[in-house]
Amino acid sequence: MVGEDRAKLMADLGRVARALDGRDIWFDWEGFFWDAADWSEAAAAQLAREGGLEDLGETHWKVLRFFRDYYAYHGRAPLNRHLREGTGLSLGELEGLFPGGIRLGARRLAGLPNPKSCF
Amino acid sequence: MAKVTLTINGRPRQVVAGPDLLLIDLLREGHRLTGVKQGCDRKGQCGACTVLVDGRTALACVTRVAKLDGARIVTVEGLGTPANPHPVQEAFVLSGAIQCGFCTPGMILAAKALLDANQDPSTAEIKHAYRRNLCRCTGYVKIIDAVKLAGRFLRGETTPEAVRPRPDGAVMGVSHPRPSAMAKACGTAEFTGDIHLPGALELAAVRSPHPHALILGIDTSAAEGMPGVAGVLTAKDIRGTNRLKYIVGDRPVLCDGKVRQVGDPVAAVAARTREEALAAAAAVRVEYQLLPALGSPQEAMAEGAPQVHADRPNLCYVQPLRKGDAAAALAASAAVVEARFRTQINHQAPLEPEASVAFLEGDGEDPVLVVIGRSINIHGSMAILQEALGHENMRYQEAYSGGQFGIKLEVVTEGLAAAAALKFRQPVRYIPSLEESILITNKRHAFHMQVRLGADARGRLTALAMDLLVDNGAYQSIGDVILRRALHMLSSSYFIPNIDALGRLVYTNNPWGSAARGAGPPQAHYALECAMDMLAEKLGLDPLEFRRRNSLRPGQTKATGYVVQDVWPFPELCDALQPHYRRALRERDGARTGTVRRGVGLGAAAFGIGQPGDKAAAAVDLDPDDGVTVSAAAADPGEGNDSMLSQLAAQVLGLPLDRVRVATRDTDHTAASGPASGSRITYMIGGAAVDALQQLKQAAAEVGALSWKAFQEAGRPTHYLGQKKILETAPLDPQTGQGPSFESNVHAIQMAEVEVDTATGQVQVLRMTVAVDPGPIINPQNVEGQLEGGMDMGVGYALREEYVTGRTRDWATFKFPTMRTAFDMTVVTRETPRLRGTLGATGVGEMSMVSTAPAVINAIHDACGAWIHELPAHPARVKAALAALQEPVP
Repeated sequence: MVGEDRAKLMADLGRVARALDGRDIWFDWEGFFWDAADWSEAAAAQLAREGGLEDLGETHWKVLRFFRDYYAYHGRAPLNRHLREGTGLSLGELEGLFPGGIRLGARRLAGLPNPKSCF
Repeated sequence: MAKVTLTINGRPRQVVAGPDLLLIDLLREGHRLTGVKQGCDRKGQCGACTVLVDGRTALACVTRVAKLDGARIVTVEGLGTPANPHPVQEAFVLSGAIQCGFCTPGMILAAKALLDANQDPSTAEIKHAYRRNLCRCTGYVKIIDAVKLAGRFLRGETTPEAVRPRPDGAVMGVSHPRPSAMAKACGTAEFTGDIHLPGALELAAVRSPHPHALILGIDTSAAEGMPGVAGVLTAKDIRGTNRLKYIVGDRPVLCDGKVRQVGDPVAAVAARTREEALAAAAAVRVEYQLLPALGSPQEAMAEGAPQVHADRPNLCYVQPLRKGDAAAALAASAAVVEARFRTQINHQAPLEPEASVAFLEGDGEDPVLVVIGRSINIHGSMAILQEALGHENMRYQEAYSGGQFGIKLEVVTEGLAAAAALKFRQPVRYIPSLEESILITNKRHAFHMQVRLGADARGRLTALAMDLLVDNGAYQSIGDVILRRALHMLSSSYFIPNIDALGRLVYTNNPWGSAARGAGPPQAHYALECAMDMLAEKLGLDPLEFRRRNSLRPGQTKATGYVVQDVWPFPELCDALQPHYRRALRERDGARTGTVRRGVGLGAAAFGIGQPGDKAAAAVDLDPDDGVTVSAAAADPGEGNDSMLSQLAAQVLGLPLDRVRVATRDTDHTAASGPASGSRITYMIGGAAVDALQQLKQAAAEVGALSWKAFQEAGRPTHYLGQKKILETAPLDPQTGQGPSFESNVHAIQMAEVEVDTATGQVQVLRMTVAVDPGPIINPQNVEGQLEGGMDMGVGYALREEYVTGRTRDWATFKFPTMRTAFDMTVVTRETPRLRGTLGATGVGEMSMVSTAPAVINAIHDACGAWIHELPAHPARVKAALAALQEPVP
């Protein structure tokens, strides 16, 4: 197994570092921040632009801040029911706000790590 | 039918019993006495269902109720309660004899029967009394200790009060009873199969009998019309991705189009009773088109071999490791040895079979799907299930778990149970048989290894060249993680300046590999540590001195080029082992004639703790009663993580232990702390807990009291979240395998003393001795218990155990360790604090078996001159190796 095949498989499996907000930040194989502490508003905005969301509005930031605050308090990601209660938004509104929806969109942008990490 | 009158735990009962009604069903189902455990498909093999019938032990799973008229039945619930336990129950708790607790009720009742007849039994009499009871966790050592302590209680020589450490006394280094132990001793701890779920549907799976086949059609019509059947589940009913994905999404909840190993799930039937579900599952017709089955990595890599997965090559992961110039160093070495080694596919063999329940909590369009099972990574398992099933609103709860040893890193039965609960909107239980549990679960990977190891004339290691070809089985899971762990720890305790290794992971149609105690290093250490003895022999050096001489020193590099910053107390462990080693050699030298030969062998291990990128969180709350609750998803299938967290809290805050609570089992109430694997719990989750506790302690100092009321009045938070992160994050370089490695290690050297019967090939382990340095010890009984259980498991791995599809069906065919195979053990400890350890500590659970197999194999060679190049070293293999010694060298 050489060349492109191997590169593709390795990318699927490994952590990847990329420059963001002027720093090297590690992401996992599903595009989640490896470490929530690497997150910044500028990094989130850049990732959002790459995902087709040119401007993060106040509602976006409300959701992202809720994610961050919930994680900082509980040490785990909120479920949708917590998001609904915490933001006052419906599930449909939340899913529609972010390209990729809640998990693959908002949660990634909020910098929460993937609970599937394994060592 | 016959009317039977009997007493159960002192209460008169009447039952009209058919000839087939078994006592286990009357007790568990009829009277909810779930301390009577069901573990071995009613074959009378495990003893977990042991009860007393008229004062004598009986296996409830093979005892017919119709024959019990007038009998007095006592279960563990009838012996005592947590508030008023029997002295035998107290003795088991205080001796550290309870780890997972699944075997405990049966063990306690067997002890009761023995001690009623003989209050001062010898070790041999205790072993005889336990001839029908199995334990996977303890190596039986502390169970024997418990019976002896119970005898002292009953003889009035001491009391539980005199033995029990004071909860307000010293904390660190004291064997305080585990918080969960008494519930397990009294049968009140609920394992998954004990959970009462009236009206729940029972599930049975339709599984592939073929290792590799296309599914052409599934006909469920006959099954759907059978009595009691609620419906049949196939892949089209799964609303999510239908893939249980850690890293690579290749394993389906239910197969859609293709099966890749024997036992793959194709459909599932939900019915009123388990019998109805099984009958209907047998009526589901599946049409297969057979494909060539790939039985080894070599077959799978051969040109023209069919691909196991259409979107990934069979050779699915490659990681080289290149440090220095191994080829040149080997060429210049004074001595080089070369050998091939191969390890078997093995079952982790937790005593409790697989079990899951699932139900919907709440009404409306988006109810909470509650899954209760045995996961050691509840937040990860929940995330995997959310994606696979397309249902986000979920809660995963860890029940008490009858051991796991890596097996429950994976979602297995939970997928089907949860999918069925979603489809049928009813509670579902999926409790497969032991045979099915063995068939469907992940296994320890088989490794094929070629090793060359060199040293200079002074006996210093110069270079290692190693090829590691790993049988991934049918699904990827964390195969790449396992392989990288082996590479990270490739040079073990030693400094090896030049290494050239190649790790390859290959899909086959064998059972899928995943976590298993040690997770990669046990396989690689077998090859390395045997090569160390081969090289010592070639150089004419003592194996212990050769190992000590080659110890890595802080500032030198591991296999990945990582410069070790932490302490490396391996030479001191060699010194600590020295008197035991000299004693063993003396005894060996007196037993080297005749056909039964004594041998002594060594195996070392430096087991990495704290992998680059690892991180954990834990929360602590100051409660209104001024106690504290530590909350973290630190699964405890038997290691004693509840002890660890509660003792850390008491130590940091200066609280008595009875003011500390731990909450670890529910995704709704815990921080996501990562898996309970890789011996990372004390270092990572314990470390995060200590961070939170120190925040609370600092706040208490500022408030002036550790008091909930005072915190409220001062307006200070009572909740603190702690973190622990490894300083390094980067993974290994994909081309060179160089990069940061584990920031600490637990160190050990094990010594096996064996007798080899050269006529039969039978090997008996007489004693295992381990010198270990895990850092400061929090709870000595827990550390010893892990080491004793690990060495027992390691000896089974070395000599007996192997998973063979279709042949390994129960504990007899698995060759489960018993009291008969048990051996003496000695644990020697040192406590060197680690730079970033949790109050200086690391962990020991996995390391405990990493070097057992090579120690045993080296001892066999020492005894009779034969090298065993493939595990397990069963008698036929030993005899063949002995016969090869007689053959002329070509």
